[in-house]
Amino acid sequence: MSPDILNTLEVILNGLMAGVMYSLVALGFVLIFKASGIFNYAQGVMALFAALTLVGIQTGQVPFSHLINVMFGTNYHNWSNGINTVAAIILTMCVMVLLAWLVEKIVLRHLVNQEPIILFMATIGLAFFLEGLGDLMWGANIKVLDVGLPSGGSFWLEDVTKEWASEGSEYFGMYIDVLDVWAAGIAIILVVALTIFSQYTKTGRALRAVADDHQAALTVGISLRTIWVVVWSIAGFVALVAGIMWGSKSGIQFSLSLIALKALPVLILGGFTSIPGAIIGGLIIGVGEKLFEFSLGPLIGGATENWFAYVLALMFLMFRPQGLFGDKIIERV
Amino acid sequence: MNITQPPADVLLSLNNISLSFGGVKALTDISFDILKGEIRAIIGPNGAGKSSMLNVINGFYHPQQGEVWFDGSIRGPLKPYQIARQGIARTFQNIALFKGMSTLDNLMTGRITKMHANIFWQAIWKGKAEKEELEHRERVEHIIDFLEIQAIRKTPVGRLPYGMQKRVELGRALAAESKLLLLDEPMAGMNVEEKEDMCRFILDVHDQFGTTIALIEHDMGVVMDIADRVVVLDYGKKIGDGYPDEIRNNQNVIDAYLGVAHE
Amino acid sequence: MFYRESGDFKSTYSADQQTFPIKFDRIAVGVILAFAFVVVPFLINDYWEKSILLPFLVWGMAALGLNILTGYCGQVSLGTGGFMAVGAYASYKITTSFPELNMFLVILLSGGVTAFVGILFGLPSLRIKGFYLAVATLAAQFFLVWLFNKVPWFYNYSASGMITVPERTVFGIAITGSNSPPWATYLFCLTFLVVFAFIARNLTRGRIGRSWMAIRDMDIAAEIIGVPPLQAKLSAFAVSSFYIGISGALFFSVYLGAAEPTEAFGIDKSFLVLFMIIIGGLGSIFGSFVGAAFMVLLPVLFKNIMVGGFGWPTDMVQHFIFMLVGGLIMFFLIVEPHGLAQLWRVTKEKLRLWPFPH
Repeated sequence: MSPDILNTLEVILNGLMAGVMYSLVALGFVLIFKASGIFNYAQGVMALFAALTLVGIQTGQVPFSHLINVMFGTNYHNWSNGINTVAAIILTMCVMVLLAWLVEKIVLRHLVNQEPIILFMATIGLAFFLEGLGDLMWGANIKVLDVGLPSGGSFWLEDVTKEWASEGSEYFGMYIDVLDVWAAGIAIILVVALTIFSQYTKTGRALRAVADDHQAALTVGISLRTIWVVVWSIAGFVALVAGIMWGSKSGIQFSLSLIALKALPVLILGGFTSIPGAIIGGLIIGVGEKLFEFSLGPLIGGATENWFAYVLALMFLMFRPQGLFGDKIIERV
Repeated sequence: MNITQPPADVLLSLNNISLSFGGVKALTDISFDILKGEIRAIIGPNGAGKSSMLNVINGFYHPQQGEVWFDGSIRGPLKPYQIARQGIARTFQNIALFKGMSTLDNLMTGRITKMHANIFWQAIWKGKAEKEELEHRERVEHIIDFLEIQAIRKTPVGRLPYGMQKRVELGRALAAESKLLLLDEPMAGMNVEEKEDMCRFILDVHDQFGTTIALIEHDMGVVMDIADRVVVLDYGKKIGDGYPDEIRNNQNVIDAYLGVAHE
Repeated sequence: MFYRESGDFKSTYSADQQTFPIKFDRIAVGVILAFAFVVVPFLINDYWEKSILLPFLVWGMAALGLNILTGYCGQVSLGTGGFMAVGAYASYKITTSFPELNMFLVILLSGGVTAFVGILFGLPSLRIKGFYLAVATLAAQFFLVWLFNKVPWFYNYSASGMITVPERTVFGIAITGSNSPPWATYLFCLTFLVVFAFIARNLTRGRIGRSWMAIRDMDIAAEIIGVPPLQAKLSAFAVSSFYIGISGALFFSVYLGAAEPTEAFGIDKSFLVLFMIIIGGLGSIFGSFVGAAFMVLLPVLFKNIMVGGFGWPTDMVQHFIFMLVGGLIMFFLIVEPHGLAQLWRVTKEKLRLWPFPH
């Protein structure tokens, strides 16, 4: 194969990987939307918050240390050298469940009958609140996240793909980050697990009942509040995984919360209510972005990844508002 | 199927209307007409397709087959708001008032098809826009007097009790001063007194303004009392069409309401 | 006892439709306007101009615009930053291409250009609703910022990629650039705000305003009773973008003086204005001003108290502000979706009855 084709292939593969990362965030959205009809803008910030908490616990940081130091003139920073990663992840998960419970109790319960747009704006408020809280608790400097996942290019892959190039051409092999491969694998496992959970377990069925009709679910004895805490906890778990993946890749920084915005086009393509749709939507956006930038980007100045996903989503909205896999919207008077 | 112009005293004529959503047939081959100045009741068990029928008349649903004649001309591919301009007003089964606006504003919105001052006049609120606004305000006040809702003029309608909301919605439809008034269960959920008030309003509108009225209603007493003619629907088909007394004694209609199975 | 309207009955419809039916209100507003136009220019200094008054006027204009689109017409937009950029760059191109053109006209024309762009990006609203539309406006936001970054014609091929406003005068006094006196820039912006607040009030209480609110409350029923959805939605986008464009033009030419797209008009500005109208009150002109004042004053207040008073580092104050604003958004949406304006209205109603409880 010619280097051009191989380069294009590399772009596509990298696009798929990027797409998987988007899907991880989109999954959290789908879960919450399916179960409560709320579009949780705060999902991206939840990923950031989860990652921050993980690193904080992992490195033994004292929460709110900066604030305490400033207020009381003390000098606390760490209370230990660190805890092992698995324990830290479990503790972080506990924090996310607590967060889910608090959000349900303080915010969601009171907004039950409002229109979707009010709920959406409330989650924007939640996002800002969490961001401030996260920064205040753990500090806003960029952190490195290391949970032991391998990263960097793979020499093996480069060697193998070098062989594919046609005779005499200058080609140095494909660069594909091993971390991305791990992320893809984990994402697929997560999706399969969630789909099985949703289809075959009792709680999963309850989730789908609540998504369909709150009133009806209540009449068969499903506790709305419990379900919502469960859903937000699962979404918190998904956020944690997303946070770990993104954080391992590029460090934990504020821009992680902007990923939430990118998830919106993913959801529009895949449909807001479809778990597999979140993956496929993510893949399409990931590949589409990278291919567009690779092929047409240089002609129009580059950096098209800033807006391509949104414009693509916009076009989808014009012609197929429910996305590829979502439920068709029927209007009645 | 012949396309023939209905006679001059017919305001609305529906010929062979069939409507389906996906696989579900909501209306099958329905034909009936409404004469100018009459009160036509549309009745039938729940799910018979009555509201769908009204939606077809409004132009919100487009029937796959059949045609609609309104005021002497056949209806082309028009949008609902254009059809409203031709002179059709409506109330809705589940109240569709503009909850963020006051009673007065809701009624004024009912007159929107008659207001034309462009945006620049409106921006400075003088000249054409002001004149128009005051003119229509006066007309709307007549309706407010008629319906006895002066006290709640400025109240946001979201805060009104159910019966009042129904009355305001009637007011909004009346404000349009239309040729045809479609009322979708205007008395649903009301007690006897409220129903009597509503009946009185409907009859007064009919007497004073000569408006043609199509009325969906479940209360048989009301229907028999105020309707001139009745159409009966069941499972999307027409099973009766005539004067109230004929309908009362029609075996098909009785069966439909009692739930006797049909083939 | 003093805030009464008993005995103050209206005998004509036009009297009934006034903006300020209560006499006390009329006097109060008159006094405030007189103070704003006549007294403040003598008291104003650089700090007040740059930190408080100009931001309030500029963001008040933007909040008014967004409230028309989102509060009155129910079309959510996250593209405010991008549209402000359109206004800013339009003013830049117009004034650099036609240096003799009066700045009032330049700003108005910038608004017009933005209105046109707004209509374009508003076309999807005919098919897309609710927060799906928010995504479409995100496309506008990111695309516009990218456009002004990448296409050199917009920044007159300058090497830095930034746009800088040349000095312009109105009635012989500098309005843009570093030589402009605070009272001049203040009066310039104040004039725009007052005139356009008046226009907004007229538009929202008339036929067009009702058509916007009808679409917001029940768009299908609205269309069935005769509200033309195309005209209603596009007019909301047009008017809203006009206002936001003017605010962007003023933001750049009078307040900032120089701008770079991502920093000055990024998505954070879109959120800022959205927060203003949520806290201030959706669907309320007064609320737009209250929200703008709130969001302008809050960081100033916090900075003075926490940094000046307690000696806290500025980034920590920033985090507190995030938490407070986020918390307030949630609070208002739960407790009073009509924001501070509604709280004010309720207070006034209680005042009307005072000292009687009901």
